[in-house]
Amino acid sequence: MYRAAMISKELVAASTEPLILSLLAGGESYGYALTQEVKRLSGDKIEWTDGMLYPVLHRMEHRGLIKSRWGESETGRKRKYYSLKKSGKKAMATHHEQWSLVHSVLAGLKKEQCV
Amino acid sequence: MFDLDQAIANWREQMLAAGIKTPVPLEELESHLREEIERKVKAGANQQEAFTSAVQKLGSAQVVRAEFEKADETHEARKWKLTNAFLMVFTIVLPLFMSVIVINRASVIDMTATQELSSLAAMAVFFSLAWAGRLSQGIFPVIANRRIRDAISALGSLLLAVWWIVFMRLIVPRHDFVMSQFLVAFVWAFFLPAGMWVGWLWGMEAAARRKFVPVGV
Repeated sequence: MYRAAMISKELVAASTEPLILSLLAGGESYGYALTQEVKRLSGDKIEWTDGMLYPVLHRMEHRGLIKSRWGESETGRKRKYYSLKKSGKKAMATHHEQWSLVHSVLAGLKKEQCV
Repeated sequence: MFDLDQAIANWREQMLAAGIKTPVPLEELESHLREEIERKVKAGANQQEAFTSAVQKLGSAQVVRAEFEKADETHEARKWKLTNAFLMVFTIVLPLFMSVIVINRASVIDMTATQELSSLAAMAVFFSLAWAGRLSQGIFPVIANRRIRDAISALGSLLLAVWWIVFMRLIVPRHDFVMSQFLVAFVWAFFLPAGMWVGWLWGMEAAARRKFVPVGV
């Protein structure tokens, strides 16, 4: 059966921030849940190296896009929850705009080739 | 018998040894590790297998540390930008502000033209020394270790503070300065060493960051 290839490393790196922002737009979450969610939504095509996610989260927190708090899981384990800040919402909107643009250009070119 | 807690403790040791010092990322990584192991065990793996593959997925200590360093570096770069901007404004506004005070007060406290000029010269010297440090960062030693730089900064600030206290408490009372003389002595005593100090700090910090290239995602 045909199976689409995994997304390239570069594309994964470039899309990490918009994906995190968009995932957090749905409410606060924590690192592990984010990796699982992105895996599920992409049908296992996007797989973040787990260790890479946290530095990105920390960087985004430093930049004021997201904020974090320590909480507890249902089983009482410590968990660090992240949520979106105002500037994070703005950054997300910008990302969406830019990715849509790239997508529409690509789609337009593909259509031209098909004709 | 495989002991999961012991295995995780060993893993923490490895991460610490690789230089992930701050406890916060380590706590977070451990929490992630435990969730992944839990999920795998629920799915039917035994603890040891689950642990091994979860650690592998998390990435080696060196790789994770390198990523955290990148994140810290961008943070550092932003802080430096702010400090730089602050110093630029500070070294321009402060001497300007003091010069305005001197010019305004000159006639009130009977300053001679020479005294007034000398006070203004002290301001110009402060500004020049500070900016000379910044602009000649190329000749400053590159001290990559931030702790050493911080120690130098702290020591210098302390010396400066001690000098100012000595000046105000010991030197000034021994002279019968009239107000205008005092002002001239004061601006030189305060601004000449302060200019040297700001210039040194600025040059040293700029030199340490010269080779720094911010890394993107």
